[in-house]
Amino acid sequence: MADAICRVLRDGALEGEHATSLTINDSVDSPFGPIVFDYIFTQLSSYISSGKSQSRGVVLVAFSRSPSFIVELLKSRGIDITTTHEWLRILDCYTDPLGWKERLKERGAIKTPSTEASLIVNLCKDVRNLDDLFSLIIALGKGLVGEGKNRFSVAIDSVSEMLRHTSLSSVASLLSNIRSHAQISSVFWLHHCDLHDMKTAAAFEYMSSMVANVKPLSTATNVLRENSENLSLLEQNYKRGQFHASLKRRNGRVRIMVLPSFSLNMYTCTHHTQAHIQCSISAKKCEEFSIEQSLIKFTSLSAGKNETAQSLVPKVSFRHYRIYPFMSFFYVQHNSGYMFWQVQFNLQLSDKERSDRAKVVLPFEHQETGKSVQIYDGRRSVTEGKHVSSIEKLQKQEDPGRGEIIYFRDSDDEMPDSDEDPDDDLDI
Amino acid sequence: MATNKGRTSSFSRNFSAAPTSSIPGLKYGPNGTIFLSSGVPDLDSGGFHLGSLVMIMEDTEAPHHMLLLRNFMSQGLVHNQPILYASPSTNPRAFLGTLPTMLVSKDDRSRNTDAEQKDLRIAWQYKKYLGENKPHIEERDGKVEYCNEFDLRKPIEKHLIMGNRVECISLLDCSSLAGFRNSCSKFLSQLPRYDGNITSAGRIAIQSLCAPQCEYFDKEWDMLSFIRSLKSMVRSSNAVAFLTFPASLVSPSVSKRWQHLADTLLSVKAIPDEDKELANLLTGYQDMLGLLSVHKVARFNTQVPVILDATTYSIKLQKRRSLVLECLNQAPVDGSSGSSYGTSGSCSGSSKTGTLDF
Repeated sequence: MADAICRVLRDGALEGEHATSLTINDSVDSPFGPIVFDYIFTQLSSYISSGKSQSRGVVLVAFSRSPSFIVELLKSRGIDITTTHEWLRILDCYTDPLGWKERLKERGAIKTPSTEASLIVNLCKDVRNLDDLFSLIIALGKGLVGEGKNRFSVAIDSVSEMLRHTSLSSVASLLSNIRSHAQISSVFWLHHCDLHDMKTAAAFEYMSSMVANVKPLSTATNVLRENSENLSLLEQNYKRGQFHASLKRRNGRVRIMVLPSFSLNMYTCTHHTQAHIQCSISAKKCEEFSIEQSLIKFTSLSAGKNETAQSLVPKVSFRHYRIYPFMSFFYVQHNSGYMFWQVQFNLQLSDKERSDRAKVVLPFEHQETGKSVQIYDGRRSVTEGKHVSSIEKLQKQEDPGRGEIIYFRDSDDEMPDSDEDPDDDLDI
Repeated sequence: MATNKGRTSSFSRNFSAAPTSSIPGLKYGPNGTIFLSSGVPDLDSGGFHLGSLVMIMEDTEAPHHMLLLRNFMSQGLVHNQPILYASPSTNPRAFLGTLPTMLVSKDDRSRNTDAEQKDLRIAWQYKKYLGENKPHIEERDGKVEYCNEFDLRKPIEKHLIMGNRVECISLLDCSSLAGFRNSCSKFLSQLPRYDGNITSAGRIAIQSLCAPQCEYFDKEWDMLSFIRSLKSMVRSSNAVAFLTFPASLVSPSVSKRWQHLADTLLSVKAIPDEDKELANLLTGYQDMLGLLSVHKVARFNTQVPVILDATTYSIKLQKRRSLVLECLNQAPVDGSSGSSYGTSGSCSGSSKTGTLDF
């Protein structure tokens, strides 16, 4: 799933097309957006460093993490740091975004921090001027790949930080300029959608060709309504989550992919947090991969093991319509109100229905079982006492859930010992 | 707005023969209205009313509005109508290179043999507007058709987009919409509406008016007041304004107001890819690109509402080149495995599909 997204970013854009763009959305309920961003960044970096992608380099615009974090991240993924100068440039908007340290340095108050020698880092001292930022990005990219038809990718971590300093329309304008630049192959950014209003999220989705949403496995309100035993589900939100992705295809359709659960094992090392990502893919195929000691391993899961995923499958609904099976009618409703009626009479029996039907005892006195069955016919007879035990046995044989036929003979209506001949009305 | 088949009844009004328009690309309609073609034959039961504001609500996940926009603009160029085009890109003129050219089908030569049958179809279709007169619409032999089909794979002829036929404006240059309003006003002043004969008609095409990269994106009320003034300017001129906007990017109340301002309101929707349920529900799902929905149709000089046969159409590309709109058809009702009920004849229960198991 995440690999599919990485592959689309790797393949980039066709001639004359806008660059492929990805928005990664997360929220405080499932704050794994940065980890997903790192995963995608390292995947793309490995494609680029091995020459398998359309872009020859990547420019990382770092707002929320320092360049040294990036170095450690690449090291932990086994990417050779010494070659990064050939394919990576970092625009450091983290260290001194508003130029305050620069002013302090001028007064001699602080010293310049040292950076990794092999990493080429450019410092941006005014993130509010997005025109300059755009020029810097393009300059860095061209410095990487040169002029001409070579392309590079851009990664922005994160746009929520940018929105602290500038307006949405200027950020949108920057992203749109990046997308429409001829030398940019792909661009992706992280967005914490609960920090902003719906319009902002909608605007970023408008400008993306792919949207990846990181969602919690269960929301707090759902859990609290249920047993307190299910609070463990809340705990699971700290390790697992759902991963939804939608891709806009060139033909105008939208491919929606849902990963009902992915899990993270987090532990802190001395200097940094290393994240293991496990993703379980639902429905027909269960696949789990875990990153252990910077190596990715894929293992297939049998259906039984991943019950959470299986149970989540029926609840997955497509963004654009839901199906409500109601008796024998199928009613399909589109979000915007399209309604398609399909009347379908379900004449097929399910297995349970079939077995229940087989167990129903029909009101025949001769059931071909070798013994006669006394069906209660509404009349208490002398012989009933003798047969009570057999009736009780019969009743005990019934399963509680099987169907019953309650039959009252027409002769029940007749008073016993009546003088009327029941055949009087026959006209023979 | 698609062809209304079988709507003629014995109680239809006997329209007096409307004058056939001598200007290519214009057609007289009922109630003293004039139509302009949308460029999509399936959308043209008459066309767009001259003087109306047409709005398309975009789906942020699909570019189908661009298909409609391209056809609209190409139709205007074919009919030599002046066009004002505005978009939120730095170089809007580059878009003109993507406009489709007219589709020249191989059937054109053999049309004359089918003329009689065709004439019947045309007469029946447009009887509502033109009475007993056979229209000059869809004439062959080099005369201009009212509505053309366009080949989306081929770009339009360069001579049509050269010169001053198309005025391009970038919405990114407009810090507020006042400048753009002035440009529209200036464009429409060339096409005033008088009671006399029309000399020419024009088209205004605005793409993604509320795109987030525009500086005025936050000023929702400014955008609303711009649309109101555009609507009033267009109403008093011989032009049609065609505007697309991503409705989800503005706040819901403003979006509703925006929708109310439209004379004709359409929306496009993306459909999910490789969706088996939808494939079972609708025939032709494989060829569908998206869905088009008609929310409102312009009513000029009449109180009678337009009642459409269907309000939702599927957008398809016929032979991957021309845009067609089709009514949605349900797939045949079937059992569990997808074959229709009528195919299996046995009741023995040997086959799984469609058997009645008593």
